[in-house]
Amino acid sequence: MLYLYIWLFPILAGILAWRFKNKSLNSALVFAHSILHLFAGIAFVLPSSGLPEFLGIDGLSIWFFIISAILYFAVGLYSLQLKGSLSNRQSSIYAICMMAFVASMDGANLSRDLGLIWVFVETTTLASALLISFEHHKQSLEAAWKYLFICSIGIAMAFVGILLLVIAMPTASSLAIDTILTLAETITPFWLKVSFVFMLIGFGTKVGLAPLHFWLPDAHSEAPAAVSALLSGALLNTALLPLIRMQEVMNACHLGGLASQLFITMGLISMFVAAVFMLKIKNYKRMLAYSSIENMGIVMIAFALGEYAGKAGLIHVMGHSMIKAAFFLTAGNVYGIFGKKDYDQCSGLLAKNPISGWLWLISFMFIIGMPPSPLFLSEFYIAFALIASGNIIVLIAFFILLAIIAYGLGCASLAITMGAGKARTKLPFSRYLPQIALLCCAVVLPLLLLYLVY
Amino acid sequence: MADILLVLFGVSLLFASITNMLSSIARILIVQGLILFVLTILKTNEINMWEFAFVALETIVFKAVLIPWFILDTIRKNGIKREVEPSVSNFFSLGSMTAIFAFAFFIALWSGKSNQNLYPLHFGIAFAAILKGLFIIIANKKLITHLMGYLIMENGIFLLSLALGSQMPHVVSLGVSLDILLSILILVLFLNKINSTFEEVDSDELSTLRD
Repeated sequence: MLYLYIWLFPILAGILAWRFKNKSLNSALVFAHSILHLFAGIAFVLPSSGLPEFLGIDGLSIWFFIISAILYFAVGLYSLQLKGSLSNRQSSIYAICMMAFVASMDGANLSRDLGLIWVFVETTTLASALLISFEHHKQSLEAAWKYLFICSIGIAMAFVGILLLVIAMPTASSLAIDTILTLAETITPFWLKVSFVFMLIGFGTKVGLAPLHFWLPDAHSEAPAAVSALLSGALLNTALLPLIRMQEVMNACHLGGLASQLFITMGLISMFVAAVFMLKIKNYKRMLAYSSIENMGIVMIAFALGEYAGKAGLIHVMGHSMIKAAFFLTAGNVYGIFGKKDYDQCSGLLAKNPISGWLWLISFMFIIGMPPSPLFLSEFYIAFALIASGNIIVLIAFFILLAIIAYGLGCASLAITMGAGKARTKLPFSRYLPQIALLCCAVVLPLLLLYLVY
Repeated sequence: MADILLVLFGVSLLFASITNMLSSIARILIVQGLILFVLTILKTNEINMWEFAFVALETIVFKAVLIPWFILDTIRKNGIKREVEPSVSNFFSLGSMTAIFAFAFFIALWSGKSNQNLYPLHFGIAFAAILKGLFIIIANKKLITHLMGYLIMENGIFLLSLALGSQMPHVVSLGVSLDILLSILILVLFLNKINSTFEEVDSDELSTLRD
């Protein structure tokens, strides 16, 4: 049943949206989809429901599904009153792409077959490219083109990786993770290694790991705020999932050490690149995008270390998604108020619009990992795991880079919020509520879910 | 028969590295599409009927007709004749293609040993095409050439998936879906829209967004 409405509803709603081209109907459809989606997520988690066993879904899938469900609900709420300037046709396209985007992310999160995951990741690229280029000006077209082209190459590389994996297991007839794991003893190590590298490059492009991240700041900064929030909070995780699953396979074939080394290298490079650019750029949405690259790097390091650091990685993924989504939605408010994208041209947000100002500051505090942010907990455990595994140099680099990034983000956040502001600007309540809810969820939910799912 | 076709496919890759004309690369794509179509037919007994019909139809329609036609059309409309600014000379590009072949066959030696289903010549040519596609994308500046590089890479991927068709038939259809992704990518008018928004279709032009 759940499967039915996770995919059937978007299809039917898409047809409706295309047929009637009515603005309020479109908003209602997207909102209804997001509510259904949230319920599906809750149904997955309830321990008594027995649904996960029935559907053959594992904890990781549920975890990532819940994240996207909550984000999508928040985004649905946020964009309820956003459609004022759009034509009917545009709002239909927006609604259809949005639902297709979320439905394909669900597919990638829930399936346990590498082939299927790959197809769904491919579909997310298509649906989201249209959303990025939605405003149709020069920059957003350029961003969408870069996104499509670079991610398509990434997707192609990931497919080469999958083909090489097939070569590595001459007896397999399916790409389901469970089958691969049962065949672990017969897999040829050489081809598995090559295949893993290709998949890391391919899906890593989509995750935005440096040095394959070039599309990410462009796409995330040019998309509308609601889309940026979903891209950064949900899509990056979706692309991360196949990498985590491949790491399982590598571990089963006794090649876990190589996977960890590659993960740590990519993670550190990502953090380094983010730190360097964070000091240099002025566009606050781009800064948030670089902060996503940094956080994905941290998550890679966490999964590389495994065990409790792996659990910390899960907390980090969830915390980062919620906080970053809240941050991006607030950035939408800031852009709405000032109409500028560079932080040195905006000041006095606290005076102009106190709620947005406070949301901005709190999101900032949370994203750099101040308690009670879940990122504090996860980064603490990652540092702990780094010490336990003797990676002292990595630990030092980790903290230096975190400090630089906190400084860079801090400059921007304070420049925007502080200063004198003249007139007050009013915004509808639906432009604050989602962020407040997301930040509350970020504090409470990771621990609660960790208790329930694991 | 299949061997001759594979070697022809390899020769088309060599030809792609010595030509400067955009339209001749588009013609190479047509030839490659046809070769892939015949190879698919030769594989009939290994793939089930419906899947086969779908794959063969897709290969002939998309790879050999629709996409090359679209590219030739774009070239004609925009009056682009030559790839004016290749970053590397023909000589260098031919040399690197040779190196790519050498590398691909070097790896192919292993492939035959570990997987009996795989034929080293098939793997070598396919892998070379993938690398060649990447090389074209890196070495050129025009967006339309990037696109053609991507198409050559994709033909290589399809060839590779065809090699594995007997073991796992559905990877072939997955490879096909990559094709469909690309066709939508093109047909959603990105190229045309980018064309009208940006005067020259050069990747250097796409630099308003940078850090």
